[in-house]
Amino acid sequence: MTAPLLEVNDLKMHFPIKSGLFSRAKTFNRAVDGVSLSIQPGETVGLVGESGCGKSTLGRCIARLYQPTEGRVYFKGDDLVHLSHKALLPYRQNIQMIFQDPMESLNARHTVGEILEEPFIIHGIGDAQSRRRSVAKLLDTVGLPSRSATRYPFEFSGGQRQRIGIARAIALNPELIICDEPVSALDVSIQSQILNLLMDLQQEYNLAYLFIAHDLAVVKHISDRVLIMYLGQIVESAASETIYQSPLHPYTQSLISAIPIPDPHRKTNRILLQGDVPSPIAPPSGCRFHTRCPVAEPRCSETAPSLLEAETQHDARCLLINSQ
Amino acid sequence: MTLLSVRELVTEFSTDEGTVRAVDGVSFDLPTGGTLGIVGESGCGKSVTALSIMGLLPQPNGRIASGEVVYQGENLAMASEVRRQAIRGAEVSMIFQEPMTALNPVHTIGRQLTEVVALHTNQSAAEQISTATDMLARVGIPEPAIRMTEYPHQLSGGMRQRVVIAIALICQPNLVIADEPTTALDVTIQAQILELIRTLQNDTGMAMIMITHDLGVIAETCEQVVVMYAGQVVEQGTVFDIFDSPKHPYTRGLLASIPTLDNQPKAPLEIIPGMVPSLHELPKACRFANRCTFAEARCEIEAPPIEVLSSSHQVRCLKWAQL
Repeated sequence: MTAPLLEVNDLKMHFPIKSGLFSRAKTFNRAVDGVSLSIQPGETVGLVGESGCGKSTLGRCIARLYQPTEGRVYFKGDDLVHLSHKALLPYRQNIQMIFQDPMESLNARHTVGEILEEPFIIHGIGDAQSRRRSVAKLLDTVGLPSRSATRYPFEFSGGQRQRIGIARAIALNPELIICDEPVSALDVSIQSQILNLLMDLQQEYNLAYLFIAHDLAVVKHISDRVLIMYLGQIVESAASETIYQSPLHPYTQSLISAIPIPDPHRKTNRILLQGDVPSPIAPPSGCRFHTRCPVAEPRCSETAPSLLEAETQHDARCLLINSQ
Repeated sequence: MTLLSVRELVTEFSTDEGTVRAVDGVSFDLPTGGTLGIVGESGCGKSVTALSIMGLLPQPNGRIASGEVVYQGENLAMASEVRRQAIRGAEVSMIFQEPMTALNPVHTIGRQLTEVVALHTNQSAAEQISTATDMLARVGIPEPAIRMTEYPHQLSGGMRQRVVIAIALICQPNLVIADEPTTALDVTIQAQILELIRTLQNDTGMAMIMITHDLGVIAETCEQVVVMYAGQVVEQGTVFDIFDSPKHPYTRGLLASIPTLDNQPKAPLEIIPGMVPSLHELPKACRFANRCTFAEARCEIEAPPIEVLSSSHQVRCLKWAQL
């Protein structure tokens, strides 16, 4: 196995919750609570979970949009967590982000040309003329006409705006792109166009993706490996095919069984979870999933399970699996 | 027996750039106790169809320009506002997509439920409260008496959607229109809500129109399906007609472009090229022609009529027989 492009070790992001303006934080929102993962060059790792599980926060910590509370993020062996903003600049070229809502992540007052030129200006690459050529090439790469450069984001449809967001992310030839729900705001027919574009770009530029989404079918389609996240922790990780064929963790099993299948002949055997996701401010004792788990035993509320290898290349965080 | 019959419905909006036709000649029938799904992408007119049936079009810009909405023999499109109000909430009601915007943030859950009961029945205040508490229990809300005194922000997204369902069902309507009822919810909560809707429908025998862009939700909940594109019905039939032998190129494209768990990972997905046309500049003939892989010259000249393939299955395409 080659050296990983990205390695995350025991990452924690605890947001302080203050009760008043001058009071000290007494409680913390443990959005990400001890996550480790690695991504190989050119690999797509899918990260799946429900709202509030911390998947977006994890992505933002890796891109250093947030300063993690604890833990290490190694990019090609260099630790990013304690770098100053200035020292981080060269790494920012290599780690880019695509956001969910391209309307909110593109500056409405800048033309598309200005938006796409900005990364080159910030990193001092090329002169005005070569930058304009680069912008034209980027637009062509993501399938937009070159006249788009003089227009504003509001003049485009949702799918086209997401193409602009992708063009900005690949502008500086990054090696890793963190895609945070890049297709969940799009219509079905546009969603498949964008997924195909992301897969084509990966082939062409050997990009690695951390693909964050809540749609399991989309994640399965694009990912080599999949991580399942629940309340700030990874509960299962395996190759994409494996995790869908033989999920081990009860949470993964219920997630997969909950997907509505577009086939009226198929009768699904659904595992219905009771209740809602608990708050990450006061996560349940022991196994965090025990309050909703259909097979929980008394010990699950007492002992916190660790993420252990249950089968080859297949990790799960569950007392019932790991004790067998 | 037919409960609701929508006939050649045309709904228009006046905008700064002129009049747009958001719904153009939509027809379908819904039997008593039946479930009909309307599927299509943003801007196809599925929500406007629902609002037209409900008489909730934004005023003063939206209006039903022609066509009929016949509910139990009565044309609601011509009904007075007073008559509409008597039906709305009592016999025909609606479940909205965003439970946070559908609920009033400054009123308690209890008040929002009893308001409906007070409007449509002669129950005393005490009876209204017990009706509302029972309804909350039926939609699976724990400790309903306590929830009655709480405000929407104190509930989770899934619980709020249960409250919205409770408000829609509290007067035992004959027809419920659910507009993307689970789109804003997580997949495990979506499964809970769909199961709840199914159970309530079995218990009460109400009919339902399910509006969604999720073909998986359609396949699991509906008997009949209407596929809409750019304001028109392009295909309709039973759920088996649509999923087993889709005839319209748009329906086929939609079904082929969704990634499923059976797909070959990393294989390119089928796509529908281009994007939905603007309602301001609709193609004159077939509205799907400029995105259709099977289109030929006549598709851009001749507007396709609805063709009847069987007693249940209809399609709007000139070339369906050759595909």
